[in-house]
Amino acid sequence: MLRRLLQLTAITTATLLPFTSHAAPELPVIQAQLTSPPLVPPPTGRKAPAKVVVELEVIEKDMPISEGVSYTFWTFGGTVPGSFIRVRQGDTVEFHLKNHPTSKMPHNIDLHGVTGPGGGAASSFTAPGHASQFTFKALNEGLYVYHCATAPVGMHVANGMYGLILVEPPEGLPKVDHEFYVMQGDFYTTGKYREKGQQPFDMEKAIAEQPTYVLFNGAEGALTGDRALTAKTGQTVRMFVGNGGPNLVSSFHVIGAIFDNVRFEGGSLAQKNVQTTLIPAGGAAIVDFKTRVPGSYVLVDHSIFRAFNKGALAILKVDGPEDKSIYSGKEVDSVYLGDRAAPNLNAVTTATTAAAAGTLTPKDQIAAGQQLFAGTCSVCHQANGAGLPGVFPPLAKSDWLGQDARRAIGVVLNGLSGKVKVNGKDYDSVMPPMNQLNDDEVANILTYVLNSWGNAGGSISADEVKQQRTKKPAATTQAAH
Amino acid sequence: MGLTTALLALAGASYVALPAGTLDSVLARDTDRKPTRIAAFALRETPVTRAEFKRFVDAHPPWQPGRVPTVFAGAGYLLQGLDDTAAPVTGVSWFAAQAYCESEGARLPTWYEWEYAAAADATRTDARQDPAWRARILGWYARPANGPLPVVGGDANVYGVRDLHGLVWEWVDDFNALLVNADSRSAADPDRLKFCGAGAIDLQDRQNYAVLMRVALLSSLGAADSTGTLGFRCAREVTR
Amino acid sequence: MKRRLLLGSLALALASSAPTPALALPGDSIYQLDATLTDQRGQPVRLDAARGQPVLVSMFYTSCQFVCPMLIDAARDTEAALTEAQRRRVKVLLISFDPTRDTPDKLAAMARQRGLDASQWTLARTDAATVRKIAALLKFQYRALPDGEFNHSAELILLDAEGRIAARTANLAGADERLVGAVRRQLAVGQR
Repeated sequence: MLRRLLQLTAITTATLLPFTSHAAPELPVIQAQLTSPPLVPPPTGRKAPAKVVVELEVIEKDMPISEGVSYTFWTFGGTVPGSFIRVRQGDTVEFHLKNHPTSKMPHNIDLHGVTGPGGGAASSFTAPGHASQFTFKALNEGLYVYHCATAPVGMHVANGMYGLILVEPPEGLPKVDHEFYVMQGDFYTTGKYREKGQQPFDMEKAIAEQPTYVLFNGAEGALTGDRALTAKTGQTVRMFVGNGGPNLVSSFHVIGAIFDNVRFEGGSLAQKNVQTTLIPAGGAAIVDFKTRVPGSYVLVDHSIFRAFNKGALAILKVDGPEDKSIYSGKEVDSVYLGDRAAPNLNAVTTATTAAAAGTLTPKDQIAAGQQLFAGTCSVCHQANGAGLPGVFPPLAKSDWLGQDARRAIGVVLNGLSGKVKVNGKDYDSVMPPMNQLNDDEVANILTYVLNSWGNAGGSISADEVKQQRTKKPAATTQAAH
Repeated sequence: MGLTTALLALAGASYVALPAGTLDSVLARDTDRKPTRIAAFALRETPVTRAEFKRFVDAHPPWQPGRVPTVFAGAGYLLQGLDDTAAPVTGVSWFAAQAYCESEGARLPTWYEWEYAAAADATRTDARQDPAWRARILGWYARPANGPLPVVGGDANVYGVRDLHGLVWEWVDDFNALLVNADSRSAADPDRLKFCGAGAIDLQDRQNYAVLMRVALLSSLGAADSTGTLGFRCAREVTR
Repeated sequence: MKRRLLLGSLALALASSAPTPALALPGDSIYQLDATLTDQRGQPVRLDAARGQPVLVSMFYTSCQFVCPMLIDAARDTEAALTEAQRRRVKVLLISFDPTRDTPDKLAAMARQRGLDASQWTLARTDAATVRKIAALLKFQYRALPDGEFNHSAELILLDAEGRIAARTANLAGADERLVGAVRRQLAVGQR
């Protein structure tokens, strides 16, 4: 009797299941660990296939898309993009799709890593308050997009129903210090960019392919400020980058970094030394690079108006010690006179470099001073230093300079007004302060003057000019040249 | 308000008479794409309310939650509860909706009857080509179902029917005649063995997203299923 | 054994105030639907007439040219895979979606044409509203086309002795092994 009862139970259970399980009985069964962006589940670390059970829930919810702007997103796992799924090539995946009872719409899922009708969409059409199950074998390794494929498909995708599934190669991916999950999408609202309030989806704009927002991870600021990605210098970073679309192709670039490797399109081949990589709508790429110097590295879609006017901007903040041999930071800030000065300003550049390196000679100064004199001082004092009789005093063979060369510094910095007697003649004019010149330039010009047109020679250093400047701060009116 | 409508109103619930007509349905009637003929029929002015369904369940104990067989109403049946308010009843299965309509000598409307009534706005019998009308309706579908529903009695369309849009999804009698492929992208390539006859329906007007979504929702459900945003109204024959 | 079952059911029926006619029927049985059809002999037959036995059920219409003949062949092939003794304990029920044109005479003509023995095969019709309900219970989709043809899903469904759906197949090219296996299991359950 007991045996019959057991038999009955077994048979009844078997008959109630419409079809037998597809997995081979020896496969270990693992519950998939899904993560919310920008986190990635750890490597599977497996050497053999398993049966992986994935449970993913669809929730329709209101979330901010930008500050003060909210939008009704349809999500896989409560986030945009949806949860990251990680399996290994050869795994049998038992997929459970659940549609929360508060959903208004039915939903399904098409995983680009599935070989089968609709990528699973035909087998996962799920009404609100229901769950569907289907099983597939992950035949190909790679990084694949998944998305909802319920009509109207474009609207479901535009509302954020996409994510990534990584099918690891059998040997796993090379170890790195950080793995990040970033996914770009374009969004269409009836209101303008950053127009406050609850914004509905705009079908006309979506059809015209004119997005209001282009965003990484579903919101402006999703990966900036205190939500920025972080790493240290000297670390390896891998990014799983997807593009959910629905419409735009991404020109993905990290400002200040070069991708050492790009598995373009999420496939098996890698390109090296890439600045910007194209990620198709409904596609993905795996990029990796090594961090070397600290700073904020900005992830953008290099169709650049999308980055600065539609929000396609994210930050990777790298902390750590500087390495000047790789990147120095700003070394020199000098005046560049462009077309105002003599066409050739090589000597000025030479002098600037020499000064920075500490190897400046009077010869360098004279050469630079000569170029700077032209167009600045020569306007009044003439190119030959003769000045204008009765108006501007001469600089050539000037007894005034010969008596005390250093007071010329004050004249150049602060200007001079009132009576002066140079070479026996009186001058009573106004020389304005030369505020546009920096210490180096003043020193070089004066050194040139002292060594030209029969003057006594000598040199003035930038330090002396600096000291004079601090003693008597120059006036603020600009020389009108 | 015609004589027929007035007579129908005497029966208790308020029904509105709609005249016979033709409809260019989103669901292709046939491969020749001719418009569908709709015979005159009467439709309830508003969806069935929680109060009305409560009275029905009180009078028909086999339809109470817990007593009704699961083959007629599954786990979500009346999950949102019942009370005496005029909000539309939700959480009702197709069988429960049929039983209610039968109890007042009526039936569920067919898809074509529903689509025909719903094509109208306040001034026109067919507003479906108006992008503003379509955008407004699409807007409702895009908002999630949070909080209790408002009461029935919104603006009437040109026939005098209210709340066909913006309140709840509604059952139709032939919801299982929406022979669409579960993967809607394959519609142009019907699996002929799956659906004997013409294959899966080709949706004629792919711009009318609101209707596409309605078809998607109804075709995702079984007859014992219900959702928190799905209600119904009844239809009656018009005898002259 | 049967008497024990009968007494048990009566006891249950008295204990609860279960709705008629579903005396102790499981909640997920399609026999919960109180329906009377008309068979090819013009006789009334209840939907749950074959309760106590497994039943192969499907929906069709007599003018169907394409898949419906395959449906009948698939049912026959499924039966052919059983032993003589097993075959006697399985019934086949085909319900028409076209009650307007599928009169009992039409059904009888079809049965004759295909050599379908009335002791085992029931071809039935009922009113349009009941057809819609049966289709909803069996999860059948169908749609009338203007030329009189129907657009419909095509499956062979196995009901267990209590009217619950035990198995279903859309594979109509010959007998589906899985369905045959399910039939055998249902018959084994019946052996007490």
